[in-house]
Amino acid sequence: MAERLLEVAGLTTHFFTHAGVVKAVNGVSFTLDRRETLGIVGESGSGKTVAALSVMRLVPDPPGKVVAGSVTLDGRDLLALSDDEMRQVRGNDIAMIFQDPMTSLNPVYKVGDQIAEAVMLHQDKGKKEAWRMAAQLLARVGIPDADQRVDQYPHEFSGGMRQRAMIAMAISCNPDILIADEPTTALDVTIQAQIIEVVKEMQEQYESGVILITHDLGVVAEMADKIMVMYGGRTVEYGPVDAIFYDPQHPYTWGLLGSLPRLDIVEKTRLTPIRGNPPDLIALAEGCPFSGRCGYERPECRDTWPELERVGPDHGVHCHIPAEERAELRSLLPRFTPEVA
Amino acid sequence: MLSYIVRRLAQMVLVLVGVTFITFIIMFVVPGNPAALLAGKNATPEKVRQIEKNLGLDQPLYVQYGKFMWRLMHGDLGTSYQLDKPVSELIALNAPNTIQLAFAAVLIELLGIPLGIYSALRQYTFWDTALTTGALLIWGIPVFVLAVFMQWFFGLKLGLLPITGGGGETFLWIFPADLENLQVLILPAVTLGLIEVAYISYMQRASMLEVIRSDYIRTARAKGVPERRVVMKHGLKNALIPVLTIAGIDLGALLGGAILTETVFNRPGIGLMTFQAIGARDLPVVAGGVLFATFFYVLANLIVDLAYGYLDPRIRLEEG
Amino acid sequence: MSGTGDDKRRWRDGPLHAPLSDRGGAGDEYFGQPSRDGVEQAEPMPSGEPGMIVGRKPLGLWADTWRRLKRNRLALVGLAIIIVFLAVGLAETISSAVGFNLAPYDPNMVNYELSPEGLGSPPAWDHPFGTDYLGRDIFSRVLVATRISLLVGVIAVAISLVIGLTAGPLAGYYGGAFDSVVMRIADIFFAFPYILFVLLLVTVLGGGFVNVFIAIGILSWATYARLVRSSVLSVRKMEFIEAARAQGASDVRIIFRHVLPNSMAPVYVAIAMGVGGAIVAEAALSFLGIGIQPPDASWGKMISDNLSYLLAGRWWMVFFPALALVVTVFGFISFGNGLRDATDPKLKE
Repeated sequence: MAERLLEVAGLTTHFFTHAGVVKAVNGVSFTLDRRETLGIVGESGSGKTVAALSVMRLVPDPPGKVVAGSVTLDGRDLLALSDDEMRQVRGNDIAMIFQDPMTSLNPVYKVGDQIAEAVMLHQDKGKKEAWRMAAQLLARVGIPDADQRVDQYPHEFSGGMRQRAMIAMAISCNPDILIADEPTTALDVTIQAQIIEVVKEMQEQYESGVILITHDLGVVAEMADKIMVMYGGRTVEYGPVDAIFYDPQHPYTWGLLGSLPRLDIVEKTRLTPIRGNPPDLIALAEGCPFSGRCGYERPECRDTWPELERVGPDHGVHCHIPAEERAELRSLLPRFTPEVA
Repeated sequence: MLSYIVRRLAQMVLVLVGVTFITFIIMFVVPGNPAALLAGKNATPEKVRQIEKNLGLDQPLYVQYGKFMWRLMHGDLGTSYQLDKPVSELIALNAPNTIQLAFAAVLIELLGIPLGIYSALRQYTFWDTALTTGALLIWGIPVFVLAVFMQWFFGLKLGLLPITGGGGETFLWIFPADLENLQVLILPAVTLGLIEVAYISYMQRASMLEVIRSDYIRTARAKGVPERRVVMKHGLKNALIPVLTIAGIDLGALLGGAILTETVFNRPGIGLMTFQAIGARDLPVVAGGVLFATFFYVLANLIVDLAYGYLDPRIRLEEG
Repeated sequence: MSGTGDDKRRWRDGPLHAPLSDRGGAGDEYFGQPSRDGVEQAEPMPSGEPGMIVGRKPLGLWADTWRRLKRNRLALVGLAIIIVFLAVGLAETISSAVGFNLAPYDPNMVNYELSPEGLGSPPAWDHPFGTDYLGRDIFSRVLVATRISLLVGVIAVAISLVIGLTAGPLAGYYGGAFDSVVMRIADIFFAFPYILFVLLLVTVLGGGFVNVFIAIGILSWATYARLVRSSVLSVRKMEFIEAARAQGASDVRIIFRHVLPNSMAPVYVAIAMGVGGAIVAEAALSFLGIGIQPPDASWGKMISDNLSYLLAGRWWMVFFPALALVVTVFGFISFGNGLRDATDPKLKE
């Protein structure tokens, strides 16, 4: 049972469209260990979903293509596998759940059928046994009356239950890695917490690694061990969850945190949204994608991508601003002034 | 579920009543006196009035309509002014031709389904473009133009198939039961069917394209389902639903009589019967023909809606 | 660096033709959300120096539709055909109203010399489409008949729209019993076998092409009414309607100034298809002998009149009007389908 499950290095995925080449993911690297949860955080368009899809090799081709990088699962480079071999990995070694459970489940087939299908694909079980397992899995993710539910259709489930069913489907073959792409975004706030609980439980039971993709910092704070902040297809900062929340280094991370309301700030401070718009991924310049919105740009920001700067044992940032200057700039932000930190 | 059916049947009755009412009014307002037509050019006014009285045409509208509805509720469709035969008899005479044609045409048009699927899966390739362009071209051809062309090409030039006629033995009114009947059926059925094939294949392609882009297809792939099964199992069932409903409604529409095709091929069906009756101002026959057509169209719609509920579980329970 | 929240402005205005529930498939993110349905963003762009990374400016609805339409070659061909058709038809309409003949020959001029044995003459240099049994130049006749087709398309669809776009939005907006009644009446119109109904109406109204157009138009109102009604049902729940009501706008004003314009997307497609359908309907009626009376010519009538000559091998008399008909209808269908694809938010590129 290897400890290091996944190693992604320099992952680069581009979409070759009529309008131009969309550089969705550029040189992203991360690792994932057993029982670890990696939170990938960023706004829409940051490339986080495409990065995950690239790992699963689910990027639609055409027009998308993984143009560089390596994805190593347990010693095998997934990008080098044949289609058949990759199919056996999907759902089996790595599973993925998606944002909207209503549209992600096939409306014309019973839920049990869809879970049993996963089982029959990767394990040597017959139909009856697969269906039985499906019912067990539904029960395990906390769906009551699992035996009846298994015979029902997706639209008969509530939003939260559907997501649980998706999770059941995903863990049916005991995958080493579970990728959850915005699993709670389409759900009610009250259900969100439940779903996070379910994912955590499954992670414990199966000792798997979880990649949690979200723009919701609250969710990430609950679940993640380490966080990777993405912007414009690049990793701008990564580190342990505490480090990111309490010692963020990148101006974008500041922006993300600064736009969160906080209950412990005594003085009235304004929420600080990040000005400007997401970058155009076709007209991406060579340098830092955040320049132009950053507010602290230096001349070199536009043209050169900053090297990795290690700020702590597992904490790194890509930024041209020297560390001391960053600290000073950060202390000026209402959210990070010493009295409230 | 049952209440739904009852409700729909009630609507159906309402629609039928509405349709007959409108027909009646129109025929009433139409210039031209069937009695005069019957009596002939040199008839004396007394003769015409006599005929009018016999046919009950001298009564006011509401009386005539009342009598008509009364008879209808007893299953009597009235008697043709022109031919002095019960309308139901005329319908029984002409219906088989229409029914055979309708079923044959729909059978042919189902070929559009595999065509559309093939096209969708090979999007942007030569074959897809060719098929789609062909489909649009053929879809736009007015049916009578195609009918004329078919007659000319297959009937005359190649001398392969008969170009007119109808009637003959049938099985259950749907299937031609002798060779001659079959032969006569081919050209009209292919004419109607061809245009519909174009339409269906285009719709099927569109439906398939949309389905392929769905989230649940992505989920299936993420599970490791082989691509073939992703398309055939997960995609197909969803993509077929709208197309099958189109085919069903087509059947309903065609059962009402394809006037143009029947005219060109001189095939005595309900459409032709009604058309001629309009010319002769033969109200009972017109009403009968319209009723026949509308009945089947509305029935087909009802069946299609129910079938839709069966195929798509999301709809099923809403109606219950 | 404290922001002022200038990105708070709501961008959710403008036509929406489908619920945004579907987040689309993979790669949805990289296009950024706002431009997906082409809604205009009210945000001013940060002024860019060259090389600066700025968001790509999302386009307005029409520009976006046009952009997608441009990539559909069939639709463009259709559009070209429509434009030619409109131009010729318009020119013919004007010139005939003025009494001027644009065609190379007088379409009604009988010339027995050009029709030996009363069978017309085949296509030749001076008569590219040949002549018919009366020696009339077919090319000129086809050209002049374009006018009829244009008129039927415009008038019939206009009538349908007037009725349908009044009944539909009212039914959808008020709902309740009124809606049920309107929809039942629409059901009746849908259930009636089309050609038969038009036949009946034409028989009532008498011949003459204007009546034919009216008959065709009256029947199709239900299609537009139903389409617009579904759009209205979703639009009326939207917040900007609330806003208008809060401002004290009257119901009628709300319906026709706010709700209707935002419900029109599927209607445009239906109009394109509807014009094509009206042209075919007129042709069919003329073919059956109801409809256009001589000396007016329409393509359908020409086909019908010259049918018997087809069997005698004089194919051009039927072929060219039929060709004109098929090509024109193809143009409308092609463009209509392209328009539908271009305005469908779920169809990703």
